Amino acid sequence: MTKTKHLLDLDDADRPFIEALITRARQFKAGLPNENIRLRGKIVLGMFFEASTRTTTSFAVAASRLGATWIDFKTEGSSLVKGESLEDTMRTVRAIGADAIVVRHAEAGFPHALARYFEGAVFNAGDGAHAHPTQGLLDAMTLVEEFGDLAGRKLLICGDISHSRVARSSGRAAWLLGASVTLCGPPLLLPPSVPGWGFAHISADMDAVLPSADAVMLLRIQRERAAGGDMPPYADLATSYGLSLSRAATLKPHCIIMHPGPVNRDVEIDGSLVRSERSRIERQVENGVFIRMAALEKSLGSPTRERVA
Amino acid sequence: MTGSNHDPRGNRDFVGARVVDPKLGLDGIRTIVVRRGVVAALLDGAPAATDSDSERIDCAGMVLCPGFIDPHVHLREPGDSYKETLATGLAAAAAGGFTAVAAMPNTKPPLDNAARIETLRAEAARLRGPHCYAIGAITIDRAGTEIAPLRAMAAAGAVAFSDDGSATRSLKTLYNAARYVLDLPQPFLSHCDDLSFDGGLMNEGDTSSLLGIAATPAISETAIAARDIMVAQATGKEWHLCHVSSSQTVELLRWARALGIRVTAEVTPHHLQCTEEALAAFDARLRVNPPLRTTADTAALRSAVAEGLITIFASDHAPHADSEKEPPLSHACVGFSGLEVAVGATFHALHNVELSILIKNFSSNPAALLGVPGGSLEPGSPADITGLYLQRPWTVDPQRFVSKGHVTPFAGMTFAVRPALTVVGGVVLMRDGVVQSVDMKTVDTRSTATEKMPS
Repeated sequence: MTKTKHLLDLDDADRPFIEALITRARQFKAGLPNENIRLRGKIVLGMFFEASTRTTTSFAVAASRLGATWIDFKTEGSSLVKGESLEDTMRTVRAIGADAIVVRHAEAGFPHALARYFEGAVFNAGDGAHAHPTQGLLDAMTLVEEFGDLAGRKLLICGDISHSRVARSSGRAAWLLGASVTLCGPPLLLPPSVPGWGFAHISADMDAVLPSADAVMLLRIQRERAAGGDMPPYADLATSYGLSLSRAATLKPHCIIMHPGPVNRDVEIDGSLVRSERSRIERQVENGVFIRMAALEKSLGSPTRERVA
Repeated sequence: MTGSNHDPRGNRDFVGARVVDPKLGLDGIRTIVVRRGVVAALLDGAPAATDSDSERIDCAGMVLCPGFIDPHVHLREPGDSYKETLATGLAAAAAGGFTAVAAMPNTKPPLDNAARIETLRAEAARLRGPHCYAIGAITIDRAGTEIAPLRAMAAAGAVAFSDDGSATRSLKTLYNAARYVLDLPQPFLSHCDDLSFDGGLMNEGDTSSLLGIAATPAISETAIAARDIMVAQATGKEWHLCHVSSSQTVELLRWARALGIRVTAEVTPHHLQCTEEALAAFDARLRVNPPLRTTADTAALRSAVAEGLITIFASDHAPHADSEKEPPLSHACVGFSGLEVAVGATFHALHNVELSILIKNFSSNPAALLGVPGGSLEPGSPADITGLYLQRPWTVDPQRFVSKGHVTPFAGMTFAVRPALTVVGGVVLMRDGVVQSVDMKTVDTRSTATEKMPS
């Protein structure tokens, strides 16, 4: 997907693609002149079928800082919900003049369907349990800021792995940059075979894998899914896969703690760790804006791209 | 049943073909002499002279077999005629080389009483196409709780019973339904899929995990297959498993056979050769139940055919409007338009299997399952004949389908075996890709002029 103007997932991404975006994002973070005219006149449509606060806002801020206009597409009661075909909706949206769509949807593959019919660029802001590519990129950026070269570094992702689009995208991005990635969670919530998703180690024993990690990322336990019969008992999850203070004491001195949010304090992570010295949770949010600026610019702003290299 | 409703004369000599009739142990050049819609004789070589009132049809280069019978199609009438009608569905059957089909009861309303069975049979008979048999629902509304009027439906002509589209919800109801009609010949056909896995969009495995897609594991099929095999054993009712998709279900079949339980099984062309990886690009057109599984499963299914554990081929023809097979995956309807590719695709997948086995699985075995005429060209049989070209490569172009459904996983694929002739009751319904029938306009399904046959 990285050869196209869309950013749908990182499934086909390669290392140069990710490195270029991170480099550009760090340039934005350091401050570039005239950033607010780079995408002047571009219309970016936010199409969020699932609740989102940080990702919507982050994308909107990124678009605004580049001079693009961010417009919220009202998904509730939209013609799509009324049964209009995706193709018709996308043609309408294009006719209105949108240059890009930022979409979040509960179904895996929904942004890919939009991309089939929309002539502009489609940015996936989360599709079901499949992908959240800008989250993956901002997490990779946070790791690179911390460690420089990721070769030999160990990223541990803990919690509800199988329902997590963040685990898929962040795990893959870190792996593409040379990190060793371990997915840790209860047996029902891990990939079915090894290596997981083609790149990750797998463990059901959090205590065994914590001490060797350079970075540990906690994921929210998606309690709302328990009724479907595919979740382990909630009570087990917090005790067996939560980062308690006693577990945190086994971490390497330099190990950082990450979390894509929202955080359920004292469930997957002890509340006192959220703003501890190890935590990079706010850094992740901060970096998200710069990564999204880099991604929007790469797809929508042609002439500045040469300056990246 | 003998084709008397097609052409009052039906006097034709099919000359010059290799005739393969596994039931007769016949494989040789013969002339099939048809009089009044019935096979009158199988002659060595061509007859010296043809009767003045009979037509001579040159079949050189073809293999002629007992008419192919598809025991599992969805013709969508009543209720969903925008997806398919009896006319388009039966025309698709003729185009695909089928002389008979059995229609599943998951229509709207479902075929769960005698009047609906009678109506379907009468409307199909008027079309003068391939024979169209009706399968009655096991339970009222296919809801899985209350036994449908099975005996009245049998009297009205139902050839089998099934809640296809889903498994019969209540084990108790299924068990009692089987006991209730134990004395009737109509078999029970099981769609093996546990209802608690509703909402699965593809096979559970590495691909679904990578994509984060809600998925259905093979146990959803095997658990119900095991349950229904136990009902067959407990009741003694003749049973049939529809569209087997998993290698473990093959093992269950092996086990059931060893115990002497009366259970047969069918396989579709897509489960013989398509696998879950094809959905990696979220292709909504490939959504089907049971889902496409793994290469280990397709290999096991092919072996099961060669071994004689799976003895029947079915297309599971499930046409939908094009717009209903569009993304996203969760919005897409399940199933493919299958009748016009089933023969080519099945022979392609099973090119290592003996020709006589393939022909039996398309003809005499489904005839025996459903208790319908056909399955052999023995003199005295209805002149239902399927003709094939074994080496006439053609490329699947779904836009040329006679069926209203244009979605198939085989689009663009090239198959060696092509249906050449469909004869029902002595009447030629399709020849060289051209479908003809009184109530169906002439349709040319040949994709390019270069493929046209010399006549």
